[in-house]
Amino acid sequence: MGSPSSGSDLTKNEFAHPSSEEIQSWMAEAFGMAKDALENGEVPVGCLMVYEKEVLGKGRNEVNETKNATRHAEIVALDEVLEWCRARQQDPKAVCARTVLYVTVEPCIMCAAALRLLNIPLVVYGCRNERFGGCGSVLDVASDDLPHTGTSFQYISGHRADEAVEMLKTFYKQENPNAPKPKTRNE
Amino acid sequence: RSSSRLPEPAWSARPVLSDAQSADPELLDAFAAPIVDRRETARLVRELAAVRPLPGLRHVKRVRPCGDRGKPHPLEILVCLLSDVPDVEDRGAATLSSLLPCESFDASGLGQPFLAKVPASPPLTRPQYERASAHWPTSFHEDKQVTSALKGQLFTSAQKAKMQEYMAAAVRAAEDGRGRGMDAVGAVMVDPDADRIVATAHDLRHGSHPLHHAVMVCIDLVARGQGGGAYCYERHPACGFAGPGIKGEQRYICTGYDLYVTREPCVMCAMALLHSRIGRVFYGSASADGAFGTKYKIHTHKDLNHRFEVFKGVLQQVCSDLNPETTS
Ligand SMILES: [Zn+2]
Ligand SMILES: [Zn+2]
Repeated sequence: MGSPSSGSDLTKNEFAHPSSEEIQSWMAEAFGMAKDALENGEVPVGCLMVYEKEVLGKGRNEVNETKNATRHAEIVALDEVLEWCRARQQDPKAVCARTVLYVTVEPCIMCAAALRLLNIPLVVYGCRNERFGGCGSVLDVASDDLPHTGTSFQYISGHRADEAVEMLKTFYKQENPNAPKPKTRNE
Repeated sequence: RSSSRLPEPAWSARPVLSDAQSADPELLDAFAAPIVDRRETARLVRELAAVRPLPGLRHVKRVRPCGDRGKPHPLEILVCLLSDVPDVEDRGAATLSSLLPCESFDASGLGQPFLAKVPASPPLTRPQYERASAHWPTSFHEDKQVTSALKGQLFTSAQKAKMQEYMAAAVRAAEDGRGRGMDAVGAVMVDPDADRIVATAHDLRHGSHPLHHAVMVCIDLVARGQGGGAYCYERHPACGFAGPGIKGEQRYICTGYDLYVTREPCVMCAMALLHSRIGRVFYGSASADGAFGTKYKIHTHKDLNHRFEVFKGVLQQVCSDLNPETTS
């Protein structure tokens, strides 16, 4: 497993990093979400948003289901976090600033920007996203200097990476039934 | 002078090209020499190609006509790159024997060498070609479409009128949103084949959801029009979709659609458009962290699997007046 990388402003995120036991158990749940995506014909990515040991949001890809190519696991989970804040009249910014994302695959460029916009400070992910990765693989939206796009965040990579890659390979071996061209892929 | 009709605003849609297409040509230092005996030209070209090949510089012509008509020798030949002869100390006074292996090369017909510059890579656009050729003749495979786009001649006036109409619809959406306390950003998705707007949206980040930038709303409205979608915008009447086309044909997400948006999209929205397989994007004014020209050029990134054209400047002034503080 990698060590925390990225980021300017490391000191800004004053809360403690999760222990490896925490990472293991939250990532196990994220993998469960990814499996659910795979069984439903979606790109197998799953994630969890954890705020002070409480799961505020869960997500898996639902691009085909919604015909909306932006419905990645992270966006789905962020919706649940915002809903949780609304129901409890909590400030989403303050909550997100103490929320960790656990996700089976490196967030794409779009999701990395969304995480910045909501000030998520830390992302724990499984395998790299070679096609679209926004935390160093294609672009480094997580750490780039984007003063008008929220705050940079740190990431810890490599937890059960091989397994995450295997799931993606399994998915891409089947043809995406909703795409007219076999080359169209959504994650 | 008191006419109520405004004059047609002066704007032009300019292509947002890749960095490789817009950069100034990189130049390499080289030595050239006049050909003092024209009859030796063919032999010199052949033998120089053997002893001083120029790998990676196939776009550079070996021989050029001398620009200065007053000179006695009409042709000049590229001898070698400066990097081929690391031992040459005094560049200004280099001799043929210091540049060429005298035992295997017959330098007869060549004059005193001099320094020249050659473009390191083939030009991709006409402006690059013109700048490169000013240093040394260069071959150029012209993309006529890029050339006319750069001249602002890609679109006919009928097409420009349509583009203006679509951007004006995006501006109206932005103004509607502003009237409801939102950031003044609007977007419309257009089916260019059917010539109609399929979805209209304005920014909702200060309304329903912090990630509901106009582009994200527009993409979800397209999904709703296709029987999908994730959100409900009933409280925002200026955000809506037109439903399936006349023939009821279904597109796959935004494949082949054009997006008109008043302000250059942020990186989230730009990537959302890429994921949605957008056809083309037209934006009005630039934004500080914009991802189609300002901070990134998402649509030209070599590692991303969907490329598309982006044009900026449609109704530029009107669009930039919507958000005077964020444009640059
Ligand atoms: Zn994503
Ligand atoms: Zn945006």
